[in-house]
Amino acid sequence: MLRLSGAWRLATLPVIQRELSALSLPAELSLDGAALTDIDTASALALLNHLRASGVNVQRLPLAGFADNDARIVGRVRERLDEVNAPVVRRREGLVAHIGRETLAVLDLLLGHLNFLGEVLVQMVRSLFTPARIRLRELTSQFEQVCLNAIPVVALVTMLIGIVIAYLLGLQAEKYGANIFVVDGVGIGATREFAPIIVAVIVAGRSGAAFTAQLGSMRLNEETDAIRTLGLSPMDVLVLPRVLALMLAMPLLVFVGDVMSLAGAMLISGPMLDITPPTFLARLQENLAIKHVYVGLAKAPVFALIIAVIGCRMGMTVSRDTRALGIATTSTVVQSIVAVILLDAFFAVLFQELDI
Amino acid sequence: MAAVAPVIEIDSIVTRFGEQVVHDGVSFDVQRGTLLALIGGSGTGKSVLLREIIGLQRPTSGSIRLLGTDVWTASDDALNATRRRFGMMFQDGALFSSLTVAENVAVPLTEHAQVPRGMLDALVHLRLAQAGLGPDAAPKMPSELSGGMRKRAAIARALALEPEVLFLDEPTSGLDPTTARAFDKMVRSLVDDLGITVFLVTHDIDTLLTVADRIVVLARGKVLADGSARDVIHVDDPWIQSYFSVRTMVGGTSGPRT
Repeated sequence: MLRLSGAWRLATLPVIQRELSALSLPAELSLDGAALTDIDTASALALLNHLRASGVNVQRLPLAGFADNDARIVGRVRERLDEVNAPVVRRREGLVAHIGRETLAVLDLLLGHLNFLGEVLVQMVRSLFTPARIRLRELTSQFEQVCLNAIPVVALVTMLIGIVIAYLLGLQAEKYGANIFVVDGVGIGATREFAPIIVAVIVAGRSGAAFTAQLGSMRLNEETDAIRTLGLSPMDVLVLPRVLALMLAMPLLVFVGDVMSLAGAMLISGPMLDITPPTFLARLQENLAIKHVYVGLAKAPVFALIIAVIGCRMGMTVSRDTRALGIATTSTVVQSIVAVILLDAFFAVLFQELDI
Repeated sequence: MAAVAPVIEIDSIVTRFGEQVVHDGVSFDVQRGTLLALIGGSGTGKSVLLREIIGLQRPTSGSIRLLGTDVWTASDDALNATRRRFGMMFQDGALFSSLTVAENVAVPLTEHAQVPRGMLDALVHLRLAQAGLGPDAAPKMPSELSGGMRKRAAIARALALEPEVLFLDEPTSGLDPTTARAFDKMVRSLVDDLGITVFLVTHDIDTLLTVADRIVVLARGKVLADGSARDVIHVDDPWIQSYFSVRTMVGGTSGPRT
């Protein structure tokens, strides 16, 4: 006979466990609950599990003296004892399996992007022949968001970059009395490389992430399904306007970046290197070959296409829970920036080979 | 446990959002071991009242005592101690999406109780079983669950610390009738077997007629009716009559609980 007394509560489990393990129990046992003031399911579980581990046949254990509700609680836990003690399934995978699964996932993702890029390009060409299919309203509203609203931040950041480049180049050039070459350096560097890359990074963080968040939340909300059911294509309604808007916006933003970074350089060249703005501009006009500006501007729509395609596809394929949306948005930014820099490296080699 | 003080005491609650008056003096008490259902049309502030009781939203005036603690004047420590004595199931579960079902249920246990090592898994399984889920649901992520299973997992988490009161926000919404009735039965057994007080907000007439001990009807900022299903169904009010007439039109397969 095991006599229980007092209040058996979840909060006192450690005490219960200690007291129980101090007991030596016979295999034939009955429980007396007359002195119990309270028992809850957690402590009933602790009791029954301990008895079971000590070799008592819990299912045939006689209960005596329990209040009705206490007996009910103990009975309920006893009914479920087998189910409750089912072995815990833990999902674990080895390192090799993990690497393999992640690699396949990346390949799958890239293949999916390629597929989506193809589809976007086909639809874009098709809509060139049927311009009526282009959704002008959506296009203009997207254009406003990705271009006009981005101008202040693009202008600010590229101007600061222009100042920094001129400053660092100037520190070196001053030593050799080669102040005026700072203009050549900044001219080529800013227009050909820095402005497009900086603008692409800003756009990836601003618009690429926004595309994923917008399309992803629409997907969570089943809005994309609604679009399909209404006989419309999410590609036409959602994706193409965004891709086109970004491809139109990006060269303009890069141009803003060019102007602002040169302005920044001009701003600091006066006080630091004694190059007055007129001298700066004259030197720029003489020595900056226009092809560098064109190269920078030509890269812009390609960067835009890649950022928009990644942003839209990550949004369109987000799985249906809120956590996945956050992950997809972050992933868009990382993927876009990596893709832009890879593309830029490719362009650098390509233009070199083409002698541009 | 003799029922002494009411578990929930709601005293002349007024809630205003700008010009809009949601509650205009709502008062009622809830006794231990009852299953109370709060009903009312859309916009009558059922969910707002629920959020005010559990301390998520401050009423404009009035007082609410939950398990003897005044929710809106108590210290943070006192309120946190009370928080361990009730459980809440949010409408769509509000399971932590980065944790498995078992980890979700284990959160309150590991944070607020000293569960001996080796007992945690069994206790989590017990909570799942109490909510009607098998051990096979334990390693799943919330995104892999159906709506009904998500609600059950949320109940399991709310039950983790053996609460004295359980709050349920629309427990059967979005469930098919069979699942919803099984859900009602499970909730009823929590009241009957464990002596838990259940406070639920619902639109489900079947829940009201089959398992609720007491129904409180909110309308126009006041408590319009309060009593058993039998009593409430006969209250002479157009809203109540049209609410329950939907049921009588279908023929009333299950009569009011007596």
